[in-house]
Amino acid sequence: MEIEPHRAVDDIMQKAVFAAAEFSSFDQQQTDKIVFAIYEAGFNARVKLAKMAHEETGIGRWQDKVMKNVVATQLVYEDIKDLKTVGIISHDKERGITEIASPMGPILAIIPVTNPTSTVLFKILSAIKARNPVIICPSKKAIKCCSETARICYEAAIGAGAPEDCIQWLTSVSREQTQELMAHKKLALILATGGGGLVHSAYSSGTPALGVGAGNVPVFIEKSADIPFAIEQIVMSKTFDNGTICASEQALVVEQETADMVISELEKRGAYFLSREEVPLLESVVWDNGRKSMNPDIVGRSAGVIAQKAGIRTPAETQLLVVPLDRVGDDAPLSGEILAPVLAFYTAKNFDEAVKICIDLNYFGGIGHTASIFSNDDEKINQFSLLMNAGRIVVNTPSSQGAVGGSFNTLCPSLTLGCGTGGKNITTENVTVRNLLNIQRITRRRLNLRLAQFDTSKYLDESLDARTIGRLYDNNY
Amino acid sequence: MTNMTVKDGPGVMEFIFSKRLDSDVCKTLEPKILNKVKNNHTVIVFDLEKVDYISSAFLGICLAVFKKVGDAKFSIMNVAPEVKKVFKIAGFDFNMKIF
Repeated sequence: MEIEPHRAVDDIMQKAVFAAAEFSSFDQQQTDKIVFAIYEAGFNARVKLAKMAHEETGIGRWQDKVMKNVVATQLVYEDIKDLKTVGIISHDKERGITEIASPMGPILAIIPVTNPTSTVLFKILSAIKARNPVIICPSKKAIKCCSETARICYEAAIGAGAPEDCIQWLTSVSREQTQELMAHKKLALILATGGGGLVHSAYSSGTPALGVGAGNVPVFIEKSADIPFAIEQIVMSKTFDNGTICASEQALVVEQETADMVISELEKRGAYFLSREEVPLLESVVWDNGRKSMNPDIVGRSAGVIAQKAGIRTPAETQLLVVPLDRVGDDAPLSGEILAPVLAFYTAKNFDEAVKICIDLNYFGGIGHTASIFSNDDEKINQFSLLMNAGRIVVNTPSSQGAVGGSFNTLCPSLTLGCGTGGKNITTENVTVRNLLNIQRITRRRLNLRLAQFDTSKYLDESLDARTIGRLYDNNY
Repeated sequence: MTNMTVKDGPGVMEFIFSKRLDSDVCKTLEPKILNKVKNNHTVIVFDLEKVDYISSAFLGICLAVFKKVGDAKFSIMNVAPEVKKVFKIAGFDFNMKIF
């Protein structure tokens, strides 16, 4: 249901809570019928919504936004359609535990400007599969396309018998209203995908929140990698929707002995290597020194547009701007996250040095998010992975699509990527419907046999230490 | 077949509902109920003994009646446990009497 501007937050939440109450009595079959209807309607509108998103935000490429909408509908639906999300979902006779899935209640879905329609589709499908009403709070720069996406889903849901107001969407957005919604006592959960400030507000609201962290994805092209394949994958991934996915590659790290080949393969595929003189020109356009973060005006713009803004002449076929760097950190701003087709490039003497650069990159604004390696050496892959702090370490995979899941691996397809405590999140998972359920457990009597046969009066004897008690506790076990 | 009968006794008006009170049914019932409920009625009783499903629209009717007559004069009776839980999830845990 469309939320008119200035509607009272109490009124919005009242409707959401009533929808939650009605939804709680739906069975799995009714729920699945609604989810299917939403999937189908969203999928059928994938091109129209992608074009709307591109036109309204000016970000990315509409063709790639179609693919994002496909991930958010077809792949997400395939992933969740057979999940039990209502009532008794499992029974373990041996352990005596029966699990019951219950809805959480109204969810506030914060939508980013970079992936607007796909994130709306993903969050609505996931929330509704768990019988949670959802309130869509779009980015100010993507209100029209998000409203249309939500409207399409809502009409399909109502047609399939969903409760009234199970999907509501804001048609104007103010910081005050968003904060009031976030802190509302009747809100069950905030699903916060967006910038650091917004995610921090969600966490500070007092309402449980599933948020995301920023990414700064290092890509190590280890010397055993199939380099032409790796570069093909990387260029495809980094230019996808002009680099707007937070899991897109941010820096390539290569060992000296393979550097020439990597450079040549990149150039073959439309990469333009900046000269030393051109780096500050690009920096002044891509980096906002006042905010100490990327300039939002270049997010999702093409390499050609960005180069032109920076006054850098590039060949017409340029897909990617590559910035050779030798440092990571505040004094090399382009070593941070840039959601555009701009890649930092590092050459390391050997494996150890390459991994150290990757660690620096990982910890420079991308803790907990995603890291990437191209390699055909299992030992090296494991060594690298153990040293990264990343919810997802993608191997021989384009990181944009690999981290999102569902197309290049078996990770759950998701437009909300948890970054663990490093990214100030509660999970490292790709957030999905499983994170939107309250799981209750019926627990039947099953005796702890060691405790049952143990003389518990021995706990009262201070002279018996942990080792002694442990031996007695485990006696004859 | 109607989902509601009304017994208008001295000082008490009882609404007896049955079956599914979904959104479509409630659209028909709402004006009838709100027309009958006057501020001067002593007691309004909703009997849900024969109801197995309530929608958000019915919750809206309950809230409207509650606001019109006040907590002292409104009660909802004979609710099934499943329906009682729906009222709880809807936040009807204030002074409204639900038995």
